[in-house]
Amino acid sequence: MKKLIMTLGLALLIAGCNATTPSKPMSLKEQYEAKLAATQAAVEKAASVEGEWRDIRWKKSKKKYLPSAIKAAEAGDYEKALKLLDIAEFQAKMGYQQAMAEKNAGPHLYGM
Amino acid sequence: MKKIVTLLLSAGLVATATQAFSSPQEDLQKFRTYFEQKFPGMKLDDFGNGSYALDESKRIQWESMEEFPPYDEFVDKGREIWEKPFKNGKSFASCFGSDPSKVRVKYPHWDSKTQQVVTLEGDINKCLKENGEKPFGWKKGPIAWLSAFFGYEARGQKINVKIPNDPKALEAYEHGRHFFYAKRGQLNMACADCHVKYPGHFIRGNLLSTALGQTTHFPVYRAKWAKKSKDGDGMGTLHRRYGGCNKQVRARPFKAQSKVYRDLEFFHQYMSNGLTINAPGYRE
Amino acid sequence: MTRLNHRFSGLAGSLVLAAGLVITAQAAAAEDAVAAGKKLAFDRKKGNCLACHHIEGGSLMGNIAPPLVAMKSRFPDKAKLRTQIFDPTKANPRSIMPPFGKHRILSDKEIDLVTEFIYSL
Repeated sequence: MKKLIMTLGLALLIAGCNATTPSKPMSLKEQYEAKLAATQAAVEKAASVEGEWRDIRWKKSKKKYLPSAIKAAEAGDYEKALKLLDIAEFQAKMGYQQAMAEKNAGPHLYGM
Repeated sequence: MKKIVTLLLSAGLVATATQAFSSPQEDLQKFRTYFEQKFPGMKLDDFGNGSYALDESKRIQWESMEEFPPYDEFVDKGREIWEKPFKNGKSFASCFGSDPSKVRVKYPHWDSKTQQVVTLEGDINKCLKENGEKPFGWKKGPIAWLSAFFGYEARGQKINVKIPNDPKALEAYEHGRHFFYAKRGQLNMACADCHVKYPGHFIRGNLLSTALGQTTHFPVYRAKWAKKSKDGDGMGTLHRRYGGCNKQVRARPFKAQSKVYRDLEFFHQYMSNGLTINAPGYRE
Repeated sequence: MTRLNHRFSGLAGSLVLAAGLVITAQAAAAEDAVAAGKKLAFDRKKGNCLACHHIEGGSLMGNIAPPLVAMKSRFPDKAKLRTQIFDPTKANPRSIMPPFGKHRILSDKEIDLVTEFIYSL
Protein backbone atom coordinates (compact mmCIF):
# COMPACT_ATOMS: atom_id res chain seq x y z
CA MET A 1 0.00 0.00 0.00
CA LYS A 2 2.73 2.38 1.03
CA LYS A 3 4.60 1.52 -2.14
CA LEU A 4 1.53 2.21 -4.23
CA ILE A 5 1.12 5.65 -2.71
CA MET A 6 4.76 6.40 -3.28
CA THR A 7 4.54 5.30 -6.88
CA LEU A 8 1.42 7.33 -7.37
CA GLY A 9 3.08 10.29 -5.75
CA LEU A 10 6.09 9.89 -7.97
CA ALA A 11 3.86 9.62 -11.03
CA LEU A 12 2.05 12.79 -10.03
CA LEU A 13 5.33 14.53 -9.43
CA ILE A 14 6.59 13.57 -12.84
CA ALA A 15 3.30 14.61 -14.42
CA GLY A 16 3.50 17.87 -12.55
CA CYS A 17 7.05 18.54 -13.71
CA ASN A 18 6.39 17.65 -17.29
CA ALA A 19 5.31 20.93 -18.84
CA THR A 20 4.00 19.36 -22.03
CA THR A 21 1.42 17.26 -20.20
CA PRO A 22 -1.79 19.28 -19.69
CA SER A 23 -1.97 20.03 -15.96
CA LYS A 24 -4.61 18.24 -13.98
CA PRO A 25 -7.58 20.53 -13.22
CA MET A 26 -7.63 21.76 -9.63
CA SER A 27 -9.89 19.84 -7.33
CA LEU A 28 -12.64 21.77 -5.59
CA LYS A 29 -10.65 21.58 -2.39
CA GLU A 30 -7.59 23.07 -4.05
CA GLN A 31 -9.69 25.78 -5.65
CA TYR A 32 -11.14 26.52 -2.26
CA GLU A 33 -7.76 26.74 -0.60
CA ALA A 34 -6.40 29.11 -3.24
CA LYS A 35 -9.51 31.25 -3.11
CA LEU A 36 -9.48 31.34 0.67
CA ALA A 37 -5.92 32.65 0.73
CA ALA A 38 -6.73 35.28 -1.89
CA THR A 39 -9.85 36.35 -0.01
CA GLN A 40 -8.09 36.58 3.33
CA ALA A 41 -5.40 38.75 1.77
CA ALA A 42 -8.03 40.99 0.17
CA VAL A 43 -9.86 41.37 3.49
CA GLU A 44 -6.68 42.33 5.33
CA LYS A 45 -5.90 44.83 2.62
CA ALA A 46 -9.35 46.44 2.94
CA ALA A 47 -9.05 46.50 6.74
CA SER A 48 -5.62 48.15 6.52
CA VAL A 49 -7.24 51.21 4.93
CA GLU A 50 -10.31 51.20 7.24
CA GLY A 51 -12.42 50.01 4.33
CA GLU A 52 -13.82 46.69 5.53
CA TRP A 53 -17.53 46.12 5.00
CA ARG A 54 -19.97 44.79 7.58
CA ASP A 55 -20.78 41.34 6.33
CA ILE A 56 -17.36 39.91 5.52
CA ARG A 57 -16.36 38.59 8.94
CA TRP A 58 -17.65 40.88 11.70
CA LYS A 59 -18.86 38.67 14.53
CA LYS A 60 -22.29 40.31 14.83
CA SER A 61 -23.04 40.19 11.11
CA LYS A 62 -25.81 37.75 10.21
CA LYS A 63 -24.02 36.83 6.99
CA LYS A 64 -20.31 36.64 7.86
CA TYR A 65 -19.37 35.41 4.38
CA LEU A 66 -15.78 34.48 5.19
CA PRO A 67 -16.33 32.45 8.38
CA SER A 68 -19.43 30.90 6.79
CA ALA A 69 -17.31 29.78 3.83
CA ILE A 70 -14.77 28.17 6.14
CA LYS A 71 -17.59 26.40 7.96
CA ALA A 72 -19.05 25.11 4.70
CA ALA A 73 -15.64 23.81 3.64
CA GLU A 74 -15.18 22.08 6.96
CA ALA A 75 -18.49 20.33 6.35
CA GLY A 76 -17.17 19.27 2.94
CA ASP A 77 -19.37 21.57 0.87
CA TYR A 78 -16.69 23.24 -1.24
CA GLU A 79 -19.11 24.49 -3.84
CA LYS A 80 -21.01 26.49 -1.25
CA ALA A 81 -17.73 27.63 0.29
CA LEU A 82 -16.50 28.93 -3.07
CA LYS A 83 -19.72 30.83 -3.65
CA LEU A 84 -19.45 32.52 -0.26
CA LEU A 85 -15.79 33.32 -0.82
CA ASP A 86 -16.73 34.95 -4.11
CA ILE A 87 -18.93 37.40 -2.23
CA ALA A 88 -16.40 37.98 0.54
CA GLU A 89 -13.57 38.61 -1.92
CA PHE A 90 -15.70 40.95 -4.02
CA GLN A 91 -16.74 42.95 -0.96
CA ALA A 92 -13.18 43.16 0.31
CA LYS A 93 -11.90 44.38 -3.05
CA MET A 94 -14.68 46.93 -3.37
CA GLY A 95 -14.10 48.13 0.19
CA TYR A 96 -10.45 48.72 -0.62
CA GLN A 97 -11.29 50.41 -3.91
CA GLN A 98 -13.81 52.63 -2.14
CA ALA A 99 -11.31 53.67 0.52
CA MET A 100 -8.79 54.53 -2.18
CA ALA A 101 -11.36 56.59 -4.06
CA GLU A 102 -12.17 58.41 -0.80
CA LYS A 103 -8.56 58.94 0.16
CA ASN A 104 -8.83 62.71 -0.09
CA ALA A 105 -12.42 63.01 1.10
CA GLY A 106 -13.49 66.01 3.08
CA PRO A 107 -14.01 68.60 4.36
CA HIS A 108 -16.73 69.34 1.87
CA LEU A 109 -19.56 71.56 2.90
CA TYR A 110 -22.16 71.05 0.26
CA GLY A 111 -22.88 74.14 -1.76
CA MET A 112 -20.31 76.24 0.10
CA MET B 1 5.79 69.65 -22.93
CA LYS B 2 6.52 66.97 -20.38
CA LYS B 3 7.94 69.62 -18.12
CA ILE B 4 4.78 71.67 -18.30
CA VAL B 5 2.67 68.65 -17.48
CA THR B 6 4.85 67.83 -14.51
CA LEU B 7 4.69 71.41 -13.38
CA LEU B 8 0.92 71.49 -13.67
CA LEU B 9 0.64 68.20 -11.86
CA SER B 10 2.79 69.29 -8.98
CA ALA B 11 0.88 72.56 -8.77
CA GLY B 12 -2.30 70.52 -8.53
CA LEU B 13 -0.80 68.38 -5.81
CA VAL B 14 0.28 71.42 -3.87
CA ALA B 15 -3.22 72.80 -4.12
CA THR B 16 -4.72 69.58 -2.75
CA ALA B 17 -2.19 69.47 0.03
CA THR B 18 -2.96 73.01 1.13
CA GLN B 19 -6.64 72.22 1.10
CA ALA B 20 -6.09 69.17 3.29
CA PHE B 21 -4.18 71.25 5.79
CA SER B 22 -6.87 73.80 6.49
CA SER B 23 -6.53 74.55 10.18
CA PRO B 24 -9.02 73.28 12.74
CA GLN B 25 -10.00 76.90 13.44
CA GLU B 26 -10.80 77.48 9.77
CA ASP B 27 -12.75 74.22 9.60
CA LEU B 28 -14.76 75.14 12.66
CA GLN B 29 -15.62 78.57 11.31
CA LYS B 30 -16.78 77.20 7.95
CA PHE B 31 -18.64 74.32 9.54
CA ARG B 32 -20.62 76.59 11.82
CA THR B 33 -21.36 79.16 9.12
CA TYR B 34 -22.63 76.37 6.90
CA PHE B 35 -25.18 75.25 9.49
CA GLU B 36 -26.18 78.77 10.45
CA GLN B 37 -26.93 79.49 6.81
CA LYS B 38 -28.76 76.21 6.37
CA PHE B 39 -30.98 76.88 9.39
CA PRO B 40 -31.26 80.65 9.53
CA GLY B 41 -32.40 82.10 12.83
CA MET B 42 -31.70 78.98 14.85
CA LYS B 43 -29.88 79.66 18.11
CA LEU B 44 -26.45 78.06 18.37
CA ASP B 45 -27.34 76.01 21.43
CA ASP B 46 -30.47 74.71 19.77
CA PHE B 47 -28.27 72.63 17.47
CA GLY B 48 -27.50 70.57 20.56
CA ASN B 49 -31.14 69.48 20.62
CA GLY B 50 -30.70 67.51 17.44
CA SER B 51 -33.70 66.74 15.34
CA TYR B 52 -36.01 68.17 18.03
CA ALA B 53 -34.85 71.62 17.08
CA LEU B 54 -35.88 70.98 13.50
CA ASP B 55 -39.40 69.65 13.83
CA GLU B 56 -42.15 71.25 15.92
CA SER B 57 -44.25 68.16 16.61
CA LYS B 58 -41.22 66.09 17.57
CA ARG B 59 -40.11 68.90 19.82
CA ILE B 60 -43.39 68.94 21.72
CA GLN B 61 -43.19 65.18 22.34
CA TRP B 62 -39.59 65.49 23.42
CA GLU B 63 -40.27 68.34 25.81
CA SER B 64 -42.97 66.36 27.57
CA MET B 65 -40.54 63.44 27.79
CA GLU B 66 -37.97 65.74 29.38
CA GLU B 67 -40.38 66.53 32.24
CA PHE B 68 -39.72 63.08 33.72
CA PRO B 69 -36.63 62.06 31.82
CA PRO B 70 -35.94 58.33 31.62
CA TYR B 71 -32.21 58.96 32.08
CA ASP B 72 -32.63 60.39 35.61
CA GLU B 73 -32.28 57.02 37.33
CA PHE B 74 -29.05 56.39 35.43
CA VAL B 75 -27.59 59.74 36.41
CA ASP B 76 -28.34 58.69 40.00
CA LYS B 77 -26.65 55.34 39.42
CA GLY B 78 -23.66 57.23 38.03
CA ARG B 79 -23.55 59.37 41.15
CA GLU B 80 -23.51 56.23 43.30
CA ILE B 81 -20.57 54.90 41.29
CA TRP B 82 -18.79 58.22 41.74
CA GLU B 83 -19.30 58.16 45.49
CA LYS B 84 -18.58 54.50 46.13
CA PRO B 85 -14.99 53.93 47.29
CA PHE B 86 -12.75 51.36 45.57
CA LYS B 87 -11.49 48.33 47.51
CA ASN B 88 -8.27 50.23 48.16
CA GLY B 89 -10.22 53.02 49.88
CA LYS B 90 -9.72 55.58 47.11
CA SER B 91 -12.44 56.63 44.68
CA PHE B 92 -12.87 58.17 41.24
CA ALA B 93 -12.10 61.54 42.82
CA SER B 94 -8.49 60.37 43.12
CA CYS B 95 -8.32 60.40 39.32
CA PHE B 96 -10.73 63.17 38.34
CA GLY B 97 -10.50 65.65 41.22
CA SER B 98 -13.10 66.24 43.86
CA ASP B 99 -15.49 68.35 41.78
CA PRO B 100 -17.44 66.16 39.35
CA SER B 101 -18.77 69.20 37.48
CA LYS B 102 -15.28 69.98 36.20
CA VAL B 103 -14.65 66.65 34.50
CA ARG B 104 -16.64 66.48 31.30
CA VAL B 105 -15.38 69.72 29.83
CA LYS B 106 -11.80 68.42 29.80
CA TYR B 107 -12.61 65.68 27.29
CA PRO B 108 -11.61 64.65 24.75
CA HIS B 109 -8.09 66.00 24.86
CA TRP B 110 -4.71 65.41 23.31
CA ASP B 111 -2.20 63.73 25.57
CA SER B 112 1.25 64.84 24.50
CA LYS B 113 2.96 62.14 26.54
CA THR B 114 1.19 59.15 25.01
CA GLN B 115 0.63 61.00 21.71
CA GLN B 116 -3.03 60.08 21.51
CA VAL B 117 -6.56 61.32 22.02
CA VAL B 118 -7.85 60.65 25.53
CA THR B 119 -11.58 60.32 26.10
CA LEU B 120 -13.67 60.50 29.25
CA GLU B 121 -14.62 56.84 28.98
CA GLY B 122 -10.97 55.92 28.40
CA ASP B 123 -9.96 57.67 31.60
CA ILE B 124 -12.81 56.09 33.57
CA ASN B 125 -11.49 52.62 32.81
CA LYS B 126 -7.89 53.73 33.25
CA CYS B 127 -8.78 54.92 36.73
CA LEU B 128 -10.40 51.60 37.57
CA LYS B 129 -7.41 49.61 36.34
CA GLU B 130 -4.91 51.77 38.18
CA ASN B 131 -6.83 51.15 41.37
CA GLY B 132 -7.00 47.41 40.92
CA GLU B 133 -10.66 47.42 39.93
CA LYS B 134 -12.21 45.59 37.01
CA PRO B 135 -12.79 47.98 34.08
CA PHE B 136 -16.34 48.58 32.79
CA GLY B 137 -17.64 47.47 29.40
CA TRP B 138 -17.10 50.25 26.86
CA LYS B 139 -20.49 50.99 25.36
CA LYS B 140 -23.29 50.73 27.91
CA GLY B 141 -24.07 50.08 31.54
CA PRO B 142 -21.92 51.58 34.35
CA ILE B 143 -19.56 53.45 31.99
CA ALA B 144 -22.51 55.24 30.40
CA TRP B 145 -24.09 55.95 33.80
CA LEU B 146 -20.95 57.51 35.23
CA SER B 147 -20.32 59.44 32.03
CA ALA B 148 -23.96 60.61 32.12
CA PHE B 149 -23.45 61.80 35.68
CA PHE B 150 -20.38 63.82 34.65
CA GLY B 151 -22.36 65.26 31.75
CA TYR B 152 -25.28 66.15 33.98
CA GLU B 153 -22.99 67.87 36.48
CA ALA B 154 -21.42 69.84 33.62
CA ARG B 155 -24.71 71.05 32.15
CA GLY B 156 -24.53 74.67 31.17
CA GLN B 157 -20.79 74.66 30.51
CA LYS B 158 -19.52 74.87 26.98
CA ILE B 159 -17.73 72.25 24.91
CA ASN B 160 -14.15 73.39 24.66
CA VAL B 161 -11.91 70.91 22.88
CA LYS B 162 -8.37 72.13 22.26
CA ILE B 163 -6.34 70.96 19.30
CA PRO B 164 -2.72 71.78 20.16
CA ASN B 165 -0.37 72.85 17.43
CA ASP B 166 1.45 69.53 17.55
CA PRO B 167 1.86 67.65 14.26
CA LYS B 168 0.71 64.40 15.84
CA ALA B 169 -2.38 66.03 17.33
CA LEU B 170 -3.22 67.59 13.97
CA GLU B 171 -2.72 64.23 12.35
CA ALA B 172 -5.25 62.68 14.76
CA TYR B 173 -7.68 65.53 14.08
CA GLU B 174 -7.29 65.12 10.33
CA HIS B 175 -7.73 61.38 10.63
CA GLY B 176 -11.04 61.96 12.42
CA ARG B 177 -12.07 64.58 9.90
CA HIS B 178 -11.29 62.27 7.01
CA PHE B 179 -13.26 59.46 8.63
CA PHE B 180 -16.23 61.80 8.96
CA TYR B 181 -16.22 62.83 5.30
CA ALA B 182 -15.25 59.55 3.60
CA LYS B 183 -17.90 57.30 2.15
CA ARG B 184 -17.80 53.80 3.52
CA GLY B 185 -19.64 50.50 3.63
CA GLN B 186 -21.65 48.71 1.00
CA LEU B 187 -24.17 51.55 1.01
CA ASN B 188 -21.38 54.04 0.26
CA MET B 189 -22.32 56.75 2.74
CA ALA B 190 -20.27 59.17 4.80
CA CYS B 191 -21.24 60.59 8.20
CA ALA B 192 -21.34 63.95 6.43
CA ASP B 193 -23.74 62.72 3.75
CA CYS B 194 -26.56 62.43 6.28
CA HIS B 195 -25.54 64.89 8.98
CA VAL B 196 -24.04 67.73 6.95
CA LYS B 197 -25.83 67.52 3.63
CA TYR B 198 -29.28 66.29 4.67
CA PRO B 199 -30.07 67.23 8.29
CA GLY B 200 -33.70 68.26 8.57
CA HIS B 201 -34.69 65.63 6.00
CA PHE B 202 -36.34 62.34 6.77
CA ILE B 203 -34.75 58.98 6.16
CA ARG B 204 -37.74 56.67 6.48
CA GLY B 205 -39.43 57.96 9.65
CA ASN B 206 -36.25 59.36 11.17
CA LEU B 207 -35.38 63.02 11.05
CA LEU B 208 -31.67 63.49 10.44
CA SER B 209 -29.86 65.67 12.97
CA THR B 210 -27.13 68.21 12.34
CA ALA B 211 -23.53 67.15 12.94
CA LEU B 212 -23.16 70.46 14.75
CA GLY B 213 -24.25 69.84 18.34
CA GLN B 214 -24.35 66.06 18.10
CA THR B 215 -21.88 65.52 20.91
CA THR B 216 -23.31 67.90 23.51
CA HIS B 217 -25.90 65.41 24.77
CA PHE B 218 -23.80 62.25 25.00
CA PRO B 219 -24.00 59.77 26.60
CA VAL B 220 -27.56 59.41 25.56
CA TYR B 221 -30.72 57.59 26.57
CA ARG B 222 -32.10 56.10 23.39
CA ALA B 223 -35.57 54.60 23.41
CA LYS B 224 -34.38 52.18 20.75
CA TRP B 225 -31.71 50.87 23.12
CA ALA B 226 -34.27 50.24 25.85
CA LYS B 227 -36.63 48.08 23.80
CA LYS B 228 -34.86 44.74 24.13
CA SER B 229 -33.12 43.72 27.33
CA LYS B 230 -30.12 42.41 25.41
CA ASP B 231 -29.53 45.97 24.19
CA GLY B 232 -29.28 47.24 27.75
CA ASP B 233 -31.24 49.89 29.62
CA GLY B 234 -31.26 52.62 26.98
CA MET B 235 -28.02 54.33 27.95
CA GLY B 236 -25.11 54.35 25.56
CA THR B 237 -21.87 56.16 24.83
CA LEU B 238 -20.88 58.18 21.80
CA HIS B 239 -18.76 55.34 20.47
CA ARG B 240 -21.67 52.97 20.74
CA ARG B 241 -23.59 55.32 18.49
CA TYR B 242 -20.69 55.56 16.03
CA GLY B 243 -20.73 51.78 15.75
CA GLY B 244 -24.48 51.79 15.10
CA CYS B 245 -24.13 54.36 12.32
CA ASN B 246 -21.31 52.47 10.64
CA LYS B 247 -23.27 49.25 10.83
CA GLN B 248 -26.26 50.88 9.17
CA VAL B 249 -24.25 51.85 6.10
CA ARG B 250 -22.95 48.26 6.10
CA ALA B 251 -19.42 49.09 7.09
CA ARG B 252 -17.72 47.00 9.72
CA PRO B 253 -17.97 49.01 12.96
CA PHE B 254 -14.74 49.75 14.78
CA LYS B 255 -14.31 48.91 18.42
CA ALA B 256 -15.44 51.48 20.96
CA GLN B 257 -12.38 53.47 22.07
CA SER B 258 -10.34 52.30 19.08
CA LYS B 259 -7.95 54.90 17.68
CA VAL B 260 -10.31 55.50 14.76
CA TYR B 261 -13.27 56.39 16.97
CA ARG B 262 -11.17 58.44 19.41
CA ASP B 263 -9.80 60.49 16.52
CA LEU B 264 -13.33 60.84 15.13
CA GLU B 265 -14.52 62.06 18.52
CA PHE B 266 -11.65 64.56 18.64
CA PHE B 267 -12.83 66.14 15.37
CA HIS B 268 -16.54 65.69 16.03
CA GLN B 269 -16.54 67.24 19.51
CA TYR B 270 -14.24 70.05 18.40
CA MET B 271 -16.77 71.00 15.72
CA SER B 272 -19.28 71.66 18.53
CA ASN B 273 -16.97 73.90 20.53
CA GLY B 274 -18.87 76.75 22.12
CA LEU B 275 -22.11 74.81 22.38
CA THR B 276 -23.62 74.16 25.79
CA ILE B 277 -23.30 70.69 27.28
CA ASN B 278 -26.77 69.21 27.82
CA ALA B 279 -25.88 65.60 28.55
CA PRO B 280 -27.39 63.16 28.99
CA GLY B 281 -29.98 63.58 26.29
CA TYR B 282 -33.09 61.67 25.36
CA ARG B 283 -33.38 60.40 21.80
CA GLU B 284 -35.84 58.15 19.99
CA MET C 1 -65.68 29.35 -52.74
CA THR C 2 -67.89 29.89 -49.76
CA ARG C 3 -66.24 26.96 -48.20
CA LEU C 4 -62.85 28.39 -48.93
CA ASN C 5 -63.88 31.74 -47.55
CA HIS C 6 -65.15 30.10 -44.48
CA ARG C 7 -61.93 28.23 -44.07
CA PHE C 8 -59.90 31.35 -44.58
CA SER C 9 -61.80 33.35 -42.03
CA GLY C 10 -61.40 30.44 -39.65
CA LEU C 11 -57.66 30.53 -40.14
CA ALA C 12 -57.52 34.31 -39.79
CA GLY C 13 -59.56 34.02 -36.64
CA SER C 14 -57.15 31.61 -35.04
CA LEU C 15 -54.20 33.72 -36.11
CA VAL C 16 -55.73 36.76 -34.47
CA LEU C 17 -56.46 34.72 -31.40
CA ALA C 18 -52.91 33.39 -31.25
CA ALA C 19 -51.43 36.86 -31.69
CA GLY C 20 -53.72 38.13 -28.98
CA LEU C 21 -52.54 35.44 -26.63
CA VAL C 22 -48.91 36.31 -27.26
CA ILE C 23 -49.56 39.98 -26.59
CA THR C 24 -51.49 39.19 -23.41
CA ALA C 25 -48.71 36.90 -22.28
CA GLN C 26 -46.15 39.63 -22.86
CA ALA C 27 -48.25 42.19 -21.03
CA ALA C 28 -48.68 39.77 -18.17
CA ALA C 29 -44.93 39.20 -17.98
CA ALA C 30 -44.30 42.95 -17.94
CA GLU C 31 -46.89 43.34 -15.22
CA ASP C 32 -45.23 40.57 -13.24
CA ALA C 33 -41.87 42.32 -13.59
CA VAL C 34 -43.35 45.59 -12.35
CA ALA C 35 -44.97 43.83 -9.39
CA ALA C 36 -41.76 41.96 -8.56
CA GLY C 37 -39.79 45.18 -8.91
CA LYS C 38 -42.17 46.96 -6.58
CA LYS C 39 -41.71 44.28 -3.96
CA LEU C 40 -37.93 44.70 -4.16
CA ALA C 41 -38.16 48.49 -4.14
CA PHE C 42 -40.30 48.49 -0.99
CA ASP C 43 -38.29 45.79 0.83
CA ARG C 44 -36.13 47.40 3.53
CA LYS C 45 -33.42 44.80 3.08
CA LYS C 46 -33.38 45.09 -0.71
CA GLY C 47 -34.01 48.33 -2.59
CA ASN C 48 -35.42 50.24 0.39
CA CYS C 49 -36.19 53.06 -2.05
CA LEU C 50 -38.73 54.49 0.40
CA ALA C 51 -35.95 55.35 2.84
CA CYS C 52 -35.28 58.42 0.70
CA HIS C 53 -37.90 58.60 -2.07
CA HIS C 54 -41.63 59.17 -2.12
CA ILE C 55 -43.40 56.48 -4.11
CA GLU C 56 -47.16 56.29 -4.49
CA GLY C 57 -48.54 53.62 -2.16
CA GLY C 58 -45.61 53.65 0.24
CA SER C 59 -45.56 54.52 3.93
CA LEU C 60 -42.95 56.07 6.26
CA MET C 61 -41.19 57.61 3.30
CA GLY C 62 -38.08 59.74 3.44
CA ASN C 63 -37.65 63.03 1.61
CA ILE C 64 -33.93 63.13 0.96
CA ALA C 65 -34.31 62.39 -2.72
CA PRO C 66 -36.79 63.47 -5.39
CA PRO C 67 -40.21 61.77 -5.43
CA LEU C 68 -40.36 59.00 -8.00
CA VAL C 69 -43.02 60.28 -10.37
CA ALA C 70 -43.24 60.87 -14.13
CA MET C 71 -40.18 58.71 -14.60
CA LYS C 72 -40.68 58.23 -18.34
CA SER C 73 -40.35 61.95 -18.93
CA ARG C 74 -37.37 62.24 -16.59
CA PHE C 75 -35.67 59.17 -18.07
CA PRO C 76 -36.91 58.74 -21.63
CA ASP C 77 -34.13 56.20 -22.04
CA LYS C 78 -34.80 53.26 -19.73
CA ALA C 79 -31.14 52.22 -19.91
CA LYS C 80 -30.13 55.54 -18.34
CA LEU C 81 -32.53 54.94 -15.47
CA ARG C 82 -31.00 51.50 -14.99
CA THR C 83 -27.53 53.04 -14.92
CA GLN C 84 -28.64 55.54 -12.29
CA ILE C 85 -29.83 52.68 -10.09
CA PHE C 86 -26.79 50.54 -10.87
CA ASP C 87 -24.25 53.23 -10.03
CA PRO C 88 -25.43 56.75 -9.19
CA THR C 89 -21.85 57.84 -8.49
CA LYS C 90 -21.32 57.85 -12.26
CA ALA C 91 -23.56 60.89 -12.59
CA ASN C 92 -22.48 62.41 -9.26
CA PRO C 93 -19.52 60.99 -7.32
CA ARG C 94 -20.83 62.40 -4.03
CA SER C 95 -24.39 61.15 -4.44
CA ILE C 96 -25.78 59.71 -1.22
CA MET C 97 -27.66 57.07 -3.22
CA PRO C 98 -26.14 53.60 -2.80
CA PRO C 99 -24.61 52.03 -5.93
CA PHE C 100 -27.01 49.08 -5.99
CA GLY C 101 -25.33 47.25 -8.85
CA LYS C 102 -21.72 48.29 -8.50
CA HIS C 103 -21.68 47.19 -4.85
CA ARG C 104 -23.97 44.20 -5.54
CA ILE C 105 -26.60 45.31 -3.06
CA LEU C 106 -29.00 43.90 -5.64
CA SER C 107 -28.33 41.32 -8.34
CA ASP C 108 -28.46 42.23 -12.05
CA LYS C 109 -31.83 40.50 -12.34
CA GLU C 110 -33.16 42.41 -9.34
CA ILE C 111 -31.97 45.69 -10.81
CA ASP C 112 -33.80 44.88 -14.05
CA LEU C 113 -37.00 44.32 -12.08
CA VAL C 114 -36.62 47.48 -9.98
CA THR C 115 -35.94 49.44 -13.18
CA GLU C 116 -39.16 48.10 -14.70
CA PHE C 117 -41.10 49.19 -11.63
CA ILE C 118 -39.56 52.65 -11.32
CA TYR C 119 -39.97 53.20 -15.06
CA SER C 120 -43.69 52.46 -14.70
CA LEU C 121 -44.17 55.30 -12.19
